[in-house]
Amino acid sequence: MPTKTHLIANGAIIDDPWVFIDDDLPLGDTPSIISLDRLKTEADALRSRNAKLGVVLRTDTQGKTKLGEDVRELAPYLDMLSIIAIDFPVYRNGRGYSDARILREEMGFDGELRAIGEVLFDQWSFMARCGFTAFEIDADIPLKTFNEALSELGEAYQPASDNQRGVLWRRHGL
Amino acid sequence: MYRYDEFDHKIVTDRVNQFRGQVNRRINGEITEDAFKPLRLMNGVYLQLHAYMLRVAIPYGTLSSKQMRMQAHIARKYDRGYGHFTTRQNIQYNWPALDRIPDLLDELASVEMHAIQTSGNCIRNVTADQYAGAIADEIEDPRIISEIIRQWSTFHPEFSYLPRKFKIAVTGHKNDRAAIKLHDIGIVIVRNNQGEIGYEVHVGGGQGRSPFIAKKLADFVPAEKLLAYLEAVMRVYNMLGRRDNSYKARIKILVHETGEAEMRRLVEEEFSKIDSSQMLNLPEAELERIAAYFAPPNYESLPAQSDSFETAKQNNAEFSHWVKTNLVAHKTPGYGIVNISLKPIGGIPGDATDAQMDVIADLAERYALDEVRVTHEQNLVLPHVKLDDVKEVYDILSNHELATPNIGLISDSIACPGLDYCNLANARSIPLAQEISTHFADLDKQYDIGELKIKISGCINACGHHHVGHIGILGVDKKGTEFYQISLGGSADEKASLGDITGQAFTEDKVVDAVDTIVETYLDLRQPEERFLDTYRRVGMEPFKEQLYAD
Amino acid sequence: MAQHSSKGARFQAVTANRLNDGEVVYFKDNGWVEDFAEAEIADGLEAAEALLTRASPDNLEVFILDPYLFEVSESDNGFTPVSVRENIRAKGPTVRLDLGKQATAH
Repeated sequence: MPTKTHLIANGAIIDDPWVFIDDDLPLGDTPSIISLDRLKTEADALRSRNAKLGVVLRTDTQGKTKLGEDVRELAPYLDMLSIIAIDFPVYRNGRGYSDARILREEMGFDGELRAIGEVLFDQWSFMARCGFTAFEIDADIPLKTFNEALSELGEAYQPASDNQRGVLWRRHGL
Repeated sequence: MYRYDEFDHKIVTDRVNQFRGQVNRRINGEITEDAFKPLRLMNGVYLQLHAYMLRVAIPYGTLSSKQMRMQAHIARKYDRGYGHFTTRQNIQYNWPALDRIPDLLDELASVEMHAIQTSGNCIRNVTADQYAGAIADEIEDPRIISEIIRQWSTFHPEFSYLPRKFKIAVTGHKNDRAAIKLHDIGIVIVRNNQGEIGYEVHVGGGQGRSPFIAKKLADFVPAEKLLAYLEAVMRVYNMLGRRDNSYKARIKILVHETGEAEMRRLVEEEFSKIDSSQMLNLPEAELERIAAYFAPPNYESLPAQSDSFETAKQNNAEFSHWVKTNLVAHKTPGYGIVNISLKPIGGIPGDATDAQMDVIADLAERYALDEVRVTHEQNLVLPHVKLDDVKEVYDILSNHELATPNIGLISDSIACPGLDYCNLANARSIPLAQEISTHFADLDKQYDIGELKIKISGCINACGHHHVGHIGILGVDKKGTEFYQISLGGSADEKASLGDITGQAFTEDKVVDAVDTIVETYLDLRQPEERFLDTYRRVGMEPFKEQLYAD
Repeated sequence: MAQHSSKGARFQAVTANRLNDGEVVYFKDNGWVEDFAEAEIADGLEAAEALLTRASPDNLEVFILDPYLFEVSESDNGFTPVSVRENIRAKGPTVRLDLGKQATAH
């Protein structure tokens, strides 16, 4: 994982207004991203809080199966969330792609969807297609390189969470 | 045959250009091997023992003569004059230099071929019945839906970093030649009572360290819903498949640990969610567009029997033998399906030289309506040959060591590359196949033994399908020395079964003797008309074990 | 993958594959050679570790892939690799004597 990262959101490098807050620290009035556990246990109190809220879905890297947290558990809280960050503990663990599509296509989440963790060159375009809009990547990578990576493969056969229709459909004007 | 349109061309060309950039970045030292390895693997480039190996996809095992000629050209120009046809309808080149692979891929793209997703934890090359479109009683040509699956799975943004690799096979015939029950997803094309075509979906088969026969999760998925159903299976797997241990990461383990009923429920639940948007409904126009490419070629209207063919059989015993094993009935009167054995006695299973590939391309063009097929048993097929031409085709094949009359016999074994080439192997496979084939070289003996499929793997990953060999052989490593474990009673067809291990492994010099003992035991025990597999299923392991471990 | 050396191995050498063409190479002095017969042989565990360290500087990854130690044994004709695997890497496929290093061997 890169030691220093920068954030690309909606096509621009931006200063990150969000802070990840550990479970044992108090929440301030700044936009904060918390764990799924904390969201579930403190949901009632959090509803009356006056600052933007986000959640991060993590993958169990220690346990037996290395599964990620269940994205569908977010359903009751979606209206409270402005951002959902999904952790890729290693680029090979592609569970987060399904999380993202479920959030966008099934649950209708329309806030920021951020990829964090090992988020590498050759995964960006797939992540974007699955509905990610923000990418925490190596600070040495310029925006130009990022944009090139997104456009390297110009056509897609299948639909996903972006607005491409998929070649199998477009051939017939669908 | 399917032909690329502008979209297909662009997708493959973009990929070659992308890979060229990746190779350049690697060779210039801009990216590390750790970062590069997954990229090259996604393009079918492995590093093996002696050199790089490139695996080229032959979707559903179908090649045109032009495409076959390109394989010969690649073997000559980028490799050392040969290619190796694999157990998954791919072709592998064993010696290409890394910096020339982008050029090689450019040439492949010029004949509408690629190496995309021939490795990596993604959806791999879709395989199908090698007799597709040529065999009688087929419900639908499996290549139609296979091509759709090929397109849908290419660069699938959600399913390119799965817990492990994912293989799909399709058959449109009740006799399964595609080993669909040993795939992550096996599809059988079926027709319901209303006469509509749909798909029976089997999930969770596979070989490797823990072999399983697939479970049937759906009896009938309508054509327009197949992609939604496949995405449901894939999503359940991507969400719940284990990622802690690569030996437990295939969907077969998930199905096994979850249980068939619960897995079916999970898939159906996911399917109803995915299907609610109707976004993946396959357009009928697209199905028709692709089906049109696989419409029957222009067969001539011929009598069912060919006089010249019958006369040639009478006059030439060798030809007549070859016809018995290598020619299969075609659905069209006056035509036959010609199997080309890539298992010459003592040869390397699945290898073909550039000259042989050129010959086969010429034969396909002149005599087989421009098609060649690749079988998962590492042989080739000319699918539509006029009976009037069969003798001529046979003569030309004979001149190029391509007319061994042994399809389905004991010398037609399949073998992975093994420790002679492969970085994962524990033991060699090819020399065993060669020794067994030489030992049983006598054709009369082979015909007497009858159908007997030997399958040899050089390691537990089971690329040589040893679990489903009538006789399976698995190479293991004991302190740097090769040993071989034998199993009996496996089968990859519609009555798929996994072999039982006989017992202690054999040293290299004892394996052929052991196979001989097994064969002799079978010959002693068999009843009239019984194949090896039938006898084994009737009498079980004990009599074989007694003979094998007598001392 | 098989283990490349047994615990009590006395003689070992370092091998890797070359980035550009995947060719099997052996470490010698401060460079890499294609022929096993020229490989530098370490006698004893300490010497082996020192050899591997010399063979694996940080920037090497650019053109040499994954160097590792493997066991060799001494015979009348010099050293030979112990495992079947390393013998095959040193020579070429046993089923195609016309290919690999063995094809050009004198």
